[in-house]
Amino acid sequence: MTLDTEVQSLRQVPMFKDIDPARLKLLAFTSERVTFAPGQRFFSQGDLSDAAYVILEGRAHVMLEAPTGVIKVAELGRNDLVGEMGILSETPRSATVLADTDIIALRIDKRVFLELLGQFPQMSIAVMRELAKRLERTNAQLAGRAS
Amino acid sequence: MEKSLFRYIWRHTRREQLVIFAAVLASLPFYFWSLDLPKRIVNEAIQGGAFKDGRATATFLEIGATPPALFGGGPRVTFFEGFTVGQLGLLFGLSTLFLVLVLVNGAFKYWINVAKGALGERMLRRMRFDLFSLTFRFPPETLRTVKASETATIIKDEVEPIGGFIGDAFIQPMFLGTQAATAMLFILLQNVWLGIIAASIVGIQFVVIPRLRRVQLRLGKERQIASRKLAGRVGEIVDGMEAVHVHDATAWEKAEIGERLFHLFDLRFRIYKWKFAVKFLNNLLAQITPFFFYSVGGYFALKGKLDIGQLVAVIAAYRELPPPLKELIDWDQQRLDVQIKYDQITQQFAPERLIPEEVFAGAEADAEPLRGPLVVKDLRVMDSHGSPLVEGASFAWDLPARIALVGDGGGGPSVLARVLARRIDDFTGQISIGGRDLRRLPEAVTGRRLTYAGVDPILFPGTLRDNLVYGLRHRPVRPGAAGDDAEQRRRRLEASRTGNPEASPDDEWIDYAALGLEGADELDHRLLEELALVGMRDDVYRFGLSGRVDPARYPHLAEKLVEARGLLRAKLADRDMRQLVEPFDPARYNNQATIGENLLFGASVGGAFAGRARAVNPLVRRVLDAEDLTDELVRMGGDIAQTMTEIFRGLPPGHPLFEQFSFIAADDLPEYEDIVRRWATRRASGLTREDRNRLLVLPLDYVEPRHRLGLIDDVLKARIVEARMRFRRELRGTLWEQEVELYDAERVCGAAPLRDNLLFGRVAHGIADARERVTKVAGEVISELGMRDDIARVGLDFQVGPGGRLLTAQQRASVALVRCLVKQPDILVLDGALASYGDAQAASLLATITEAYRGRSLVAVLRDEAQAADFDILVRFTGPRPQQVRGPLAPAAEGGEAGVGAGTVQQPLRDSDKATTEPEFERQTP
Repeated sequence: MTLDTEVQSLRQVPMFKDIDPARLKLLAFTSERVTFAPGQRFFSQGDLSDAAYVILEGRAHVMLEAPTGVIKVAELGRNDLVGEMGILSETPRSATVLADTDIIALRIDKRVFLELLGQFPQMSIAVMRELAKRLERTNAQLAGRAS
Repeated sequence: MEKSLFRYIWRHTRREQLVIFAAVLASLPFYFWSLDLPKRIVNEAIQGGAFKDGRATATFLEIGATPPALFGGGPRVTFFEGFTVGQLGLLFGLSTLFLVLVLVNGAFKYWINVAKGALGERMLRRMRFDLFSLTFRFPPETLRTVKASETATIIKDEVEPIGGFIGDAFIQPMFLGTQAATAMLFILLQNVWLGIIAASIVGIQFVVIPRLRRVQLRLGKERQIASRKLAGRVGEIVDGMEAVHVHDATAWEKAEIGERLFHLFDLRFRIYKWKFAVKFLNNLLAQITPFFFYSVGGYFALKGKLDIGQLVAVIAAYRELPPPLKELIDWDQQRLDVQIKYDQITQQFAPERLIPEEVFAGAEADAEPLRGPLVVKDLRVMDSHGSPLVEGASFAWDLPARIALVGDGGGGPSVLARVLARRIDDFTGQISIGGRDLRRLPEAVTGRRLTYAGVDPILFPGTLRDNLVYGLRHRPVRPGAAGDDAEQRRRRLEASRTGNPEASPDDEWIDYAALGLEGADELDHRLLEELALVGMRDDVYRFGLSGRVDPARYPHLAEKLVEARGLLRAKLADRDMRQLVEPFDPARYNNQATIGENLLFGASVGGAFAGRARAVNPLVRRVLDAEDLTDELVRMGGDIAQTMTEIFRGLPPGHPLFEQFSFIAADDLPEYEDIVRRWATRRASGLTREDRNRLLVLPLDYVEPRHRLGLIDDVLKARIVEARMRFRRELRGTLWEQEVELYDAERVCGAAPLRDNLLFGRVAHGIADARERVTKVAGEVISELGMRDDIARVGLDFQVGPGGRLLTAQQRASVALVRCLVKQPDILVLDGALASYGDAQAASLLATITEAYRGRSLVAVLRDEAQAADFDILVRFTGPRPQQVRGPLAPAAEGGEAGVGAGTVQQPLRDSDKATTEPEFERQTP
C-alpha cells in the first residue's frame, strides 16, 4: 500500500471528497500510517484529542462510558473517519474507539490538520460543508422525532 | 583608564618603545650612506672622478681613520687595505654596496615593523582587557543604561583602529621624522638652496594639510557616533521584533533606519569630498618640487656650483622624502582621529561612579562566614524620580536567622532584599554584617557567602553543568591538564606583559575540598540531588537520554548500556513486542532507518557524512558507483522530488509543514521544480552533474514505511547492504575514518544519542503507540540496571543555548536556583526565584529550602504572611515602610522598645507608625 492508495481512500471520506488531489496527497503524506492489533484502543474517552483517524482496513467500534455502563454506539469500517470532532472543537475525546480486527489506519495529526485548514480555504470549506450537512441531518432527525 | 592615549601607551610600553628607538637610530647611518652612495657612483665611477689624474685604479672599501687632532693627529691608520679596482670594478663594487645597503635598510624596516606590530597587538589586548574589566566595575544603576551591543562593539571593533595605531604612536613619527630629517640634511649638505626649496614645500604641506583635515576629522567623529547609534538601534529593533510585528510598525522602523542610513551616507559623502581635496593638494605639492629641482638644480649644475652626482643624489634623496612625509601627515591625522575615538571610548567607560577596585581585590577563599549581627540603620532607597522605595528601615538581627519580607503589593520587600544582597548599593543609611560594612565587603566574600536568586535567571551558553557550577568558579585551584609546557609558558608570559590574567579557563577552578567533596563525580551527584529538590530531575534524565555518551568519560555507563541493549531486547521479546523495534544488524537492511543510515551504518561525527555532505562525499560516491547504485538513487531522487514539488506547491515558504515533512527546504523548491521539469521530459540525460547531486541528496533521507512512496524493493535493500559492506571496507585508512562511528553491537557509539544506543535499532513506524510502549520498557530496563543517575549525569552535558533559550522558563529558574543552592551560602536571598513554579510546587520548594536553611540565613520575599509560618523573623511592609512583626527585636533599638521574647508577635502600632512619619513632614515644611 502506498501514498496513492491512501489518497484513494481519503477520497471516499465525505469530508474530503471535494478536495483537490494534490492537497489530499499532502494530507496523506503528512499523516502517519499506523496499525492496531485487535482490542487495541485508538483513544479513550476523556483523553486529549490529538489526532483523527481514517480507517484503511479493518473494523472498529465506538463506545460510550456512561454511569450506567459501557454502551456500544457505532461500528466503523473501511474509509470511515473518526476523532475529527474532537480535534476541531478542541475538546477531550467524547468516546472510546477500540479495534475489532487488525486495523490499518491513517493518523492525521491535529496540529498538521489545523495547519492545512488554515492554509487552504478550499479544505476548510469542505470541512464546514460536511459539518453543516451533519447539523442539518441532526435537525431533520429532531424535527422528525418532534412531529 | 588614562585620559590621554599617549600617556596610556607610554606607561605600558616604555621599555619596548625605547628598544625600537635604539634600532631606529642605529638604522640612520646606513640610510644616510645609501643616500650618499648614488653621488659616488655617478661622480667617481660613471664620470670617472676617481680616475681623474690618469690613475688606472682606485681603492675600494678601504677602511681606516685619521686620528683626530685631539690625540695628537698623525697619519691615517688603515685597518683594511681595500681592493684595488678599475673603473668598471668600482662601478660594480659601489652598485653592489648600494644593493647591500638597500637590503640592510630593508632588514631594519622589517624588524622595526614586526616589533611595532607586536607592540600594537599587545597594547590592543591590554586595552580590550582593561575595558572589559572596567565593565565589571560599573555600578548597577549604570548597567541599567548601558547597551550590551554597544559595549561589545566598542570592545571588539572600535578599539581595533586604536590598536593598529598604538604600535605607530611613538615610533612612526620618530622613525619617519628622523628619516625625513636625514634626507633633508643630506640635501642641505649638497646645496643650501635646494635644501631651502625642499624645506619650504615640506613646510607648506605640514601647515596647510592638517588644517584641511581637521574638518574631515570632525565629520569622521560624527559618522562614528551615528553608526554606533545605528548599531544600537538595529539591535533594539531585533530584540523587540515581537512588538514591531504586534503593532504593525515595520514601516515606521524601516523609515527610521532609512533616515539614519541617509544621514550616514551624507556624512560619508562629505568626508570623501574633503578627503580627495586634501589628496589633490598633496599630490600637487609633491609633483611641483621636482620642477624646482630640475630647473634650479640644473641651473646650479650648469653654473658649476653643483656637480651632476650631487644633482642626481639630491633628486634621489627627494624621492625618498615624500613617502615618509606623507605617512607622517597620515600619522598626525590618525593621531587626532584615534585620540577622538579613544576619548569617546573612555567616556563610554567612565560612568559617574565606579565600584571601588578594592571590592574585587584579592581576599582569601576561606573568608569568615557571614554571621553575627545584621544591623540596618535608617536605610532609605529612592527610585530615579526621588520617591522612596524603602524608608525608615532599622533592624538588628542576629544571624543566622530566616527572615521573611512580606509586602502589600509594593516593591519594598524586593528592594530591601536586593539591598541586602548588594544588588542595589545606591542607598542612604548603614548596613553591616558582623560589624563589617556591607558596602565595603569584597566581592570575594559576598560572591561566595551571600547569594541572590532573583526573578530573571541569567544563564550563559554552555552545558547545564557549566551553568550550575558557575557560582563555584571563583579562583583557579590548580593548573589544568595542559601542564607547564613551552606553549603554556609563552601564554603566561604574554599575559603578564599585557596585564591579562595568567589563569586559564582550562585550569581546575572548582575547590572540591572546600565543598566537602571528593571530586567531579561527587559534585555531579550533588548537582543532581539539588536538581531533584527543585523538581528538575526528570528533565535532566530526559536530556541525558538524548545526550551523547563519550565512552572515555563514562566507561561504566557505556558498559551498562551495552548490557541494557540485550536486556531490552529480551524484555521486548518476552512481552511479544519484538516487532516494535527493528534492531541494527550489519547484514540486514533496516526498514525503519533512512537509506543514508543503512548505507553508513554508523553515526556521523564531523560534518563529512551529515545531511547534504554525504551525497557529495567522494567516498560515498565511489561506493555507490562501484555498486551501480548511483543511477538508481538519482532515479529515486527524481521520483521523490516530483512528489514533493507536487504536494508542497502552494505552501508559503517557512510554513511549519515544510520544516517538518518536506525533503526539500522551501527555498530550494523552485530549483527542484526546474530539475523535475527536465527530469520529466528527458529523464537522466537532461540532468547536469549538479542536478544529479541534488537529487541524490533526497533518497538518503527516505524511509519506506514512513514516507510510503513505494520506492524500495527487496533487491534494492540487498544491494544497499552490499554497498554498506563495501563502504566499511573502503573507509579503512581514509581521511574520513574519524568522521563516522560505525555501529557495533558490542560497543557504545559516542556519536549517537544515548537513547539510540540503548535501543540499538529503530522503533517501527506505523504501529500505533509503538514509541510509548518501547519507552516504557526501556525505562524499566534503565531502572533495573540502576542507570538513572548515570544517564542524568549525561544530561548535565546538555547545551542550554544562548541565554538558556533551549530550556523552558521554569527550567531556567531551576538552574539559577540550584546554582545558588550548590554554593551553600551563609545567606541566601530569595527574591521571586520561585515565581515561575506553580503555587503548590513553589510552596513545597519554599518549605524544603526553609528547612534546609535552619542554622543558616535566609532572606525571602514572600507574597503573603501565610507562607512565612516557618520563618524566625517576619517583616511586613506598608508601602515603603517595613515593620518587624515577629522575631526578636533589636536588643538596643532606638526609642527603647527593647523587644525580648523570641517568637512573640509584635502588633504594629499606629502611633509608632506616625512617630516615624512625622519628621518627614516637618522636614518638608520648614
